[in-house]
Amino acid sequence: MWTVALATILLAAACGEEPAPPSAGPGAAATTSCASSGGLTMWERSGGNKQMVDMLVEAWNTKNPDCKITLTYIPHAEMVGKIAQGIASGEVPDLMGMDLIYAPQFEKAQQLVDITDRIKDWSELKTASKGHMTVGTYEGKLYGVPLYADVSALFYNKDLFTRAGLDPNKPPTSLAELRQYADKITALGSDIKGYYLPGNCAGCNIFTVGPLMWASGATIEAAKAGDEPLVGDGVKQVLQFTRDMVKAKNVHDGDRTENGETFHLQFGSGKVGMMGTGNFNITLARQQNPNMKFGISLLPGMTSGSNASFIGGDLVVIPKGSKRVNDAVNVMKFLLSDDVQVEVYAKALNLTTRSDMVDNKYFKAEPLVQDVAKALAVGRTPYTLTFFEQINSPQGPWLKMLQRAYYSEDNLDTVISDAKKEMKAIAAQG
Amino acid sequence: MRKGYRGRLVGIVYLAPALVFVLAFTAYPLGQMAWMSLHSWSLLTPPRWVGLANYDRAFGDTQFWVSFVFTLKYTAFITPILIIGGYLIALLVARNDPVRKVTRTVVFIPVVIGLGVSSLLWYWLFSTNFGLINAALMDLGLVDKPVLWLGADADTSNWAIIASVVWKVIGFGMILFVGAIQAVPNDVSEAALVDGASYRQRVTKVIIPLTLRTVLLVTLVSVIGSLLAFDQFYIMTAGQPQNETATSVFYVYLNSFPYLKLGYGAALSMILAAGILIFTVVQLLLTRRSHS
Repeated sequence: MWTVALATILLAAACGEEPAPPSAGPGAAATTSCASSGGLTMWERSGGNKQMVDMLVEAWNTKNPDCKITLTYIPHAEMVGKIAQGIASGEVPDLMGMDLIYAPQFEKAQQLVDITDRIKDWSELKTASKGHMTVGTYEGKLYGVPLYADVSALFYNKDLFTRAGLDPNKPPTSLAELRQYADKITALGSDIKGYYLPGNCAGCNIFTVGPLMWASGATIEAAKAGDEPLVGDGVKQVLQFTRDMVKAKNVHDGDRTENGETFHLQFGSGKVGMMGTGNFNITLARQQNPNMKFGISLLPGMTSGSNASFIGGDLVVIPKGSKRVNDAVNVMKFLLSDDVQVEVYAKALNLTTRSDMVDNKYFKAEPLVQDVAKALAVGRTPYTLTFFEQINSPQGPWLKMLQRAYYSEDNLDTVISDAKKEMKAIAAQG
Repeated sequence: MRKGYRGRLVGIVYLAPALVFVLAFTAYPLGQMAWMSLHSWSLLTPPRWVGLANYDRAFGDTQFWVSFVFTLKYTAFITPILIIGGYLIALLVARNDPVRKVTRTVVFIPVVIGLGVSSLLWYWLFSTNFGLINAALMDLGLVDKPVLWLGADADTSNWAIIASVVWKVIGFGMILFVGAIQAVPNDVSEAALVDGASYRQRVTKVIIPLTLRTVLLVTLVSVIGSLLAFDQFYIMTAGQPQNETATSVFYVYLNSFPYLKLGYGAALSMILAAGILIFTVVQLLLTRRSHS
């Protein structure tokens, strides 16, 4: 009697089990359409390129009405914790956009689906953004493809250049020139400032001040335990440059409280002469201030002609536990397809994530995008397992160092050595 | 004998729901947290036993103690404002007439708003370039340029946050004080009045002594709330400048989630909980003494 009852219960439990996740096995031919039906779930961070991601999802949903993606935005600063919690509790989306710099941490912890066998033969990967593919690879295994790319560059307001008696077609090529130009623009008065420094935003600074250091021959983060961070004279030189800019009142007082919330709105206000920002600002500045004329050049270093850029953006990855791996891979194929590269990315004047797609009709009609695309050639993406703690955290040593440089009189050698000590300690624990 | 046993059993059955609740939602999580604090516990990798290493590290962690001292400072500043302010408002609105009832309602309304929502509201009110407060101060000619309320100077940020929290929670103390003041027996008040006591004398000699237990209760609740402050600092300053406004709970959160060091975060929480427990015991002993 009891045996029968137990068997019945076990049978019922077995029948009630969820079906195994669909799997076409390694190397199943990917398409740009859905392999099965039913909605897909996707997470993406807020504070990234929302406009672009919304357009990409809309393009997929239009093509695949039976397999629409439901997109959820997670606050930028909480993304790492949220994903980790989701993975630990098994409540993960089918695919997700991930700030590319966090990818190595999750790849090392084996929390993403290894898609090497499914995608390694795709011809699209040969021209996919190098920065993205580097951090999307761990110990020779592939875990993601680019979702979108953001590169930093120097935006300058041509109207203010003309008013200050500067040549609007000659942007600064060194930090010394940048300082001279900023002085002249600030001298225009009436709340106009020559430059912009986001005083309370770690991410904005690695995006726009980090390249000034790279262009001056310095390195910033400690890639792994035992590495020396903040190496090179460029670190101190750039910190001195920024301190002098603040002292000379070449930046607005309010910049000090910028925590990233209004960073993207600053250049379009028309009150800033030059500013390090990203390609996303082209469309935004146009929407904000349609009559403003502006140009884009590369972020310079100490010596004339030296320059650098930060290649940021997001990867699209599949968290472990995703029940729709095949469909998620198809979304990746869709994102890298010629049609989407041109008709979605380029049409919206965003960078294409494949370098062979830069030559398109939309970019030809918009020289500014061509200018910003030059940053891809000189750009880099930091590779470290502790990026958040070392650099991106509002409480991390990177922002602490910059704030002391910008707003205090502390000796710069002490400021740098304090930051070094903290970065090394973090890398050692990582 | 049998009846006594049955009586005890019935007592336990009556207690059971509350007991289950406490065990499930207080004792178990607390035990789990203590267990976690003895591990290197990241959500990404399996937990690893480290013994007391997390506690050892916590005692040498300068930022944790900076945060702890800042939290004490915040508590020391805001508690008197909430208690004295709340009591004064309660004295003014304790009588039941229409104007006072409306005033009580207006002061109490912010209490029902979530702290996160109110912090976000004040974050934008204090915004350097877009905030109403700076616009108003400049229009009135009180300042020449926008004041950097949040994230630039630790003291200014602290006072700005205190202002927002006082607006949000002062009504809570007030409503409890009003209840206590209204519960003062009429005959005692009338006797004082007949004896010719002035209003000030009635407040200091009659009303305050008879409402002291409520004052201590509100103080206890306010102090614990302030020691556990998180939302307002997370939203309004994120610990800036230079981590000088990072409260203890904010630092626990930072380690546990963004840094994914749950074990270390749990150890910090245990230390914080022990501190609050000591304070609460002292406070309860004082309450008992005042009662006796």
